[in-house]
Order: sequence, then C-alpha cells, then structure tokens
Amino acid sequence: MEAITLNGVSKDFGSGTSYVKVLHDINFKAQTGEVDLVIGPSGSGKSTFLTIAGGLQSPSSGEVLINGSPFTSETRRQQEAIRLSKIGFVLQTYSLVPYLTVQDQFKLVDIFVKKNHIEKERFNQILKDLQIDNLMTKYPSQLSGGQNQRVAIARAIYPDPEIILADEPTAALDTARVKEVGKIMANFAHEKGKAIVIVTHDQRLSEFADHQYEILDGRMRPV
Amino acid sequence: MFLAVKEMQHEKFRYGLIIAMIVLIGYLIYVLTSLAIGLARQNTLAIDSWEPKTVLMNRDANISLDQSILQKDDVGHLNKSQALIGQMAVIAKESNRQNESARFIGLSKSQFIYQELKTTSGHLPTKTNQIVVDDKFKDDGYRLKDRVVLNSDNTKFQIVGFLHDQRLNVAPVIYGSLSTWKALKGYRGNQIIGSAVMNKAGSPTYKHKAVKKYTKSQLVNKLPGYSAQNMTFGFMIGFLMAISLVVIAVFLYILTMQKLPNYAVLRAQGIPSSMLVKATVYQSLLIVVIGLVISGVITWGTGKLLPLGVPIYFDIPVLLAVSAGLIIISVLAALIPVRRIITIDPVTVIGG
Repeated sequence: MEAITLNGVSKDFGSGTSYVKVLHDINFKAQTGEVDLVIGPSGSGKSTFLTIAGGLQSPSSGEVLINGSPFTSETRRQQEAIRLSKIGFVLQTYSLVPYLTVQDQFKLVDIFVKKNHIEKERFNQILKDLQIDNLMTKYPSQLSGGQNQRVAIARAIYPDPEIILADEPTAALDTARVKEVGKIMANFAHEKGKAIVIVTHDQRLSEFADHQYEILDGRMRPV
Repeated sequence: MFLAVKEMQHEKFRYGLIIAMIVLIGYLIYVLTSLAIGLARQNTLAIDSWEPKTVLMNRDANISLDQSILQKDDVGHLNKSQALIGQMAVIAKESNRQNESARFIGLSKSQFIYQELKTTSGHLPTKTNQIVVDDKFKDDGYRLKDRVVLNSDNTKFQIVGFLHDQRLNVAPVIYGSLSTWKALKGYRGNQIIGSAVMNKAGSPTYKHKAVKKYTKSQLVNKLPGYSAQNMTFGFMIGFLMAISLVVIAVFLYILTMQKLPNYAVLRAQGIPSSMLVKATVYQSLLIVVIGLVISGVITWGTGKLLPLGVPIYFDIPVLLAVSAGLIIISVLAALIPVRRIITIDPVTVIGG
C-alpha cells in the first residue's frame, strides 16, 4: 500500500533574479513495510522534498497523498492532525524540545497522541539498542549530537506512526551506531508495516534500504 | 500546562527573573493601593462608622461640616435613626503629652451615634466633662483619666475611653457632648443646635429651606483634600498599571519570540497550535500568579513592619480586584504574540 505519494511535485522560491527552482516535477511513492533512501549532496533539495512530503511546506505545484488521500489540499489544522497521528519526524536539527528531559520528550507524546503507542517491551528494547536507556533524565543540552539523534529516532518511533520521515538521522553517528539505527529502522518498517523515508548523504544506510533514489539539483531518479 | 511547567523548571533563572519583576510590580501596586486606601479611610473612618445614608446640613455651608450651622427651627424633631452632631477642629493639650490636632464631635446620648460607639477600653462619657478619643491618642502616650484642655478653653476634660478607627479628615476624633461643642464654639442660647444631622435610614424630614439633604458620598467628597488626594492616587495607580502592562507585555513577547524554534519543533511534530497558545497563556498565568502571591506576602510583611502611624490598609476585595486586573492584563499581553505562534512556519526555523 502506498503510504506517501508525490505526484509531479515542484517547489520554487523567489522571483525575478532571485528565482530558484528547488524541486523539479518529483514523482515518488513510499510503500508500507519498506525503507526508501533518498541520497543527495547538500543543497540538492532533500530536506525540501521531505518537508513537503510531511506537510511542513506546500509544493508550488503537484500534490502529496497520504495513504491515498489528498494531503496538500487539507487545511493546516487537518495536516497537523495527520502529522500528529500518522507521521514521525526525525529532523536534521532541533529535533528535541530543549527544556524536556529524554523521558519527558516521550511523555509529551503521551499527552498529545492518545492512540496506542509502541509496545512497552519493544520500545524498551529499542532504547537499549540505541543505547539511550540510561539517558532518560538528561536534557538535550547534556547529550552529544549522536545521542540527540538517537533520542530523536526513538521519539519518532514511540507513537507508532504509520510513516517515518527522517532527515539525516545518522549524520553524527559512528558506523556501528549507523548500523544499529539502520537495523532498527528496517525492522520497524518490515515487521510493523511502516513506511520509512530517509533523506541523507550517508551511503552507510544503503544496505538497509528497500529502494534507493538519488536527488540532484532538485531532480529525483531511482538508483 | 505540562510544557509551561517543564520549561519553567528547566529555565529557573530566566523565569525567576521574570517572576521577580512581577513581584516588584505587584509589590509596588499593592503597597501604593493599600497606602492610598489607608489614607482615604483616615478621612472618613468616623463617618463610615455612623453609616449615614443622608446628611442634613446648612444649605449655604458648601457641604462643609466646618461651615454648617443648624438652628433648632431648621430640623425640628429627630427620630431614632437621626443623630445630631456638632463638629469642629480642636487642639487637645495635656501638660505631659504632645499636643494633638483633632476633630471634636459633640453628640447626644439619646441618639444612635452615641449609642453605637464601642470603646476598646474605658467607657462612654456620661458627664459633660468626659470625652472618649480615638486610639491615636493612646499611641501618642495619652492614657485613661488624662485630663486634657481643648483649644484655649480652661475647662479640663477627662479621657474616659478609647475608640478604634475614629478619624475625620485624618485627624483623630474626640467625642463629647453637644453642650461642650457649643461651649467650645462660643454659641450661647438654645437656637444653634449643631453642625449636621446624620440620617441612618429613610428620607428625613426637615422644616426649613436653609437646610439641605446630601448623600454620604457628597459629604465625603467635599472633605478638604479628599477628592484631590484620591484622584492623585488613582492616577498614580492607573499609570502604574498601564506601564506595568507595557513592561509585562514586552517581557512576555520577548520570551515567546525566544521560544519560536521550540514551537517550530513542536509544530513539526504535529502538536496543535492551539496547545502551544494554551501553554503560553498558562505559563503567563503561572508566572503572574506566583509573582502576585509572593508580592502579596511581602506586602503583608511590610504592613506588619511599618510604624503604626503609617496609614496602610489592606482592603482585600480591592487588592483582589487589582490582582485580577494584573492577571487579565498579563494574559492579554501573552496573547499579543499568539498570531506569531499560530503562523509559525516550522521550515523557517528547522531549515530545508
């Protein structure tokens, strides 16, 4: 089943001499139970692609569908509701709320997302696998970049979303941790039937992807 | 509330400073309001204790107790809800004590003002050479059985009782007989009977066109300096509230603007903007309530430490109204940046 579909999505900014076309007619489908990796260098339009897919910004043309239903044309409030219940974000920066401990980052999810979360035992195992189970009382400012990213990944998985959109989730991790994150993401997709889209320039994640795409100067092609 | 409390717990110093600012603003407003009320009360405590609905005075006295003279024919027979008073400014002197500027009120024992007086010590005067005085006399060293001279009169009056909260135009009140008042005023004969008639209930009857009926507030507002003083304090407190609004609004606005990246993260995660607005309002509410509670405690402590002569009075309903005003102002101030929160674009902060 197609969890996310982008049909002919383009995005441009500015006008006249400052006009820039960041995305060119992107057609993309992310299936449930699969990991899609979108690889590209800095400035290629990866993050713009991901934020449009997650409804954080609107495309200049084209449309986004979530589970086959129009998403782009929904109101801001409806998009927020869909994002809250169906999409987990792992952002390149600012993924965590700075004044909440790791434990409270998850508690915040409990407050706002009322549906069933990931099973406790499984989640505790994920915390152990990500080696963040002993960081629950720490604030993001007390964590390293890698630890912050791993907490952000756990936080995105915690509400058991149908879709996870991750922007450079392994940028600050060593190879062993990259493998751990890749494995967790792949297991989450394959075993729980989730759609995971990762945009990155980190080739080390390739082995965990079911499909790979390259994005270059705003144009996407399968690899 | 969760986000509001957690952020305050984490940013203790920042929020501590803001709460400290609210404490100082609240303290200033509470103390100033209490002093203003205290001073205003000292003008009217005696009148308030009589609880008159209306007052009969000489039509040409410009609603001044000092100027009003009533003649026997003006008022006729007084009923039980009416009391005649004779009022004048006096200096009370006793050889071993400091001179005391006071207001003498002559009363009739058969009328309600005298009958409703309650002494804190001693008893009500039963003879014409006996007086009861406000506690201010006691604070200044006067004691029961002290014999005082009023103005330049040679007659000595014995203090037989003290009364609480009996002030008129800030001066402590001395209650004595109407005949004493007449003697001090130098009135002879039976024609002049007093300064005014206090009517506790109903519409009083009066016989002569030289007499006019006034309301209590008309009388109080015409007390020398009373309206000007209240207006001055009112403007001071009003301006202070207005300036406080601006200061609090600026602080809360800056605070909210600093939090926009956090809000962007929360918005990206799908947390509804209404929740973020609620968190902002809750936080403002919490800051102001904590600040005002602390300033209330400090104000109360200040009241206990101030010398007895300082006219501070904690009028709880008024202070609660002032507090409610500050809370409403703060919530409104917190709502100023709401549009910014609602329209925040996560991408502008997160990048992409």
